[in-house]
Amino acid sequence: MSDAHTILALRCRACGTLDPGPREICTGCLSPALEPVHLPGEGSLVAWTIIRRAPKNFRTEAPYAVCVVELDTGRLRVTGRLADPAIDPPLGMRMRAIEPCDGYSVFVSVAS
Amino acid sequence: MRQVSILGIGSTAFGRHIGTPIEALAVQAAAQALADADVARTEIGALYLGNFISGPLNGQEVLAGMVADRLGLPNIPCTKVEGACASGGIAFRHAALAIASGQCDVALVVGAETMTHASGAEVTAALNCAMDNRSDGASGLTFPGLFGMAWRIHASRYGTTRRQVSAVVLKNKSNGTRNPLAQMGAELTDDIIEQSPMICDPLQLYDCCPVSDGAAALLLVARDRAKGSGRMPVDVLASVQTRGASRIAGHADLCSFDATVSAARKAYEVAGIKPQDVDLVELHDCFSIAEIVDSEDLGLIPRGQGAAWAAEGRTSINGDIPINPSGGLLAKGHPVGATGVAQIHEAVLQLRGVHTNQVRDAEIAMTHNLGGTGIACTVNILRRGDA
Repeated sequence: MSDAHTILALRCRACGTLDPGPREICTGCLSPALEPVHLPGEGSLVAWTIIRRAPKNFRTEAPYAVCVVELDTGRLRVTGRLADPAIDPPLGMRMRAIEPCDGYSVFVSVAS
Repeated sequence: MRQVSILGIGSTAFGRHIGTPIEALAVQAAAQALADADVARTEIGALYLGNFISGPLNGQEVLAGMVADRLGLPNIPCTKVEGACASGGIAFRHAALAIASGQCDVALVVGAETMTHASGAEVTAALNCAMDNRSDGASGLTFPGLFGMAWRIHASRYGTTRRQVSAVVLKNKSNGTRNPLAQMGAELTDDIIEQSPMICDPLQLYDCCPVSDGAAALLLVARDRAKGSGRMPVDVLASVQTRGASRIAGHADLCSFDATVSAARKAYEVAGIKPQDVDLVELHDCFSIAEIVDSEDLGLIPRGQGAAWAAEGRTSINGDIPINPSGGLLAKGHPVGATGVAQIHEAVLQLRGVHTNQVRDAEIAMTHNLGGTGIACTVNILRRGDA
């Protein structure tokens, strides 16, 4: 899936620890030298749900689906949006990031 | 460290208290606890108050000092404690530590919250203060959403069904009908639950605890001070607090909370008991599926079997391990900062043998209070003391 959008994360320049961010210092070695890295937006579906009662900042968007995806790179987990909940994707399904939104990524399931 | 006992308890009913300020509810509960313990106010050496969102919802902070002032307490240290839904449990633990360390012989614990005057969207937004908002909050995730995801994993992994989860709702709502402090006891049916609105798939309306107002209080003393009081104390065998990941994506498993697992393990060790010694537990069932996950995390039910045990009635008042005889958060209500204190209030009634949903021969009780997306947890083990 080479057309997957990348996911912006942080990598510690001192020890290499990856983190989904935002983060101030490395939790592995306490170094402040965290640099942004673009990871391949490919992984597997950990869990998802549909938010039907949203907090006031998101009220106009509801209902919307939220998911947790474990990226293949570094087994890093990110919380984002699920674009196609209607297909009722089973957990563990392959996922691909399709676009970055305001502070989160949007994922779509990939038919195997 | 000195041993600590609970000598007095007090609580308002949980529900809607529109027009009653939060500090008035807190004072009401605290005054009851003082009268129940029959301890002079001048003996109280510290006050700890659990509260979560009085700032955003009431525009009122400094509640600990305000409550002490209204109770006419001496010029003692008064501390408000915040740890989201675990605020009350953390307040209790710090009061116990103040006594255990010898800082004081008597301490007052209060938990209070008022929420029902605010709109649903305002409450949801205020509760979201308990998230790591620059990461999890950005996606629009909510607390029901987190537990909707946990349910999906539990169902996928263990085959948990809607009907099994409903058994938790039916039990707790029914227990609530016999608890005079409960906000929302009810005799429900599977059909009523299944026809209720979807909130965060597969979580439906009756799977969620209500929005509540309420306050609870406890009067703690050094165990020596309880002797000769003529009252039956409840001894604190263990009071443990832990931290979990601050982010949802930081949890190794979204169907288990590390903070609960580690707190329970430590509590059993400190108390010197085993899970099978626990006669009843008041645990953090903010959502039906949470009771199932918590009961497994606490080591009370084998992993993956929480739903089956509920469906088989093994968690009812007369079951193998009675869970939430009070009705829990689902039926009793969840005035957030009060909950951890109120759970202990319920446990004390059980250990005194005077609860309206009495568990037979209850001698050891556990309480479990979980905050945020699993970032804070307290577990207490309590035992009936000698009069």
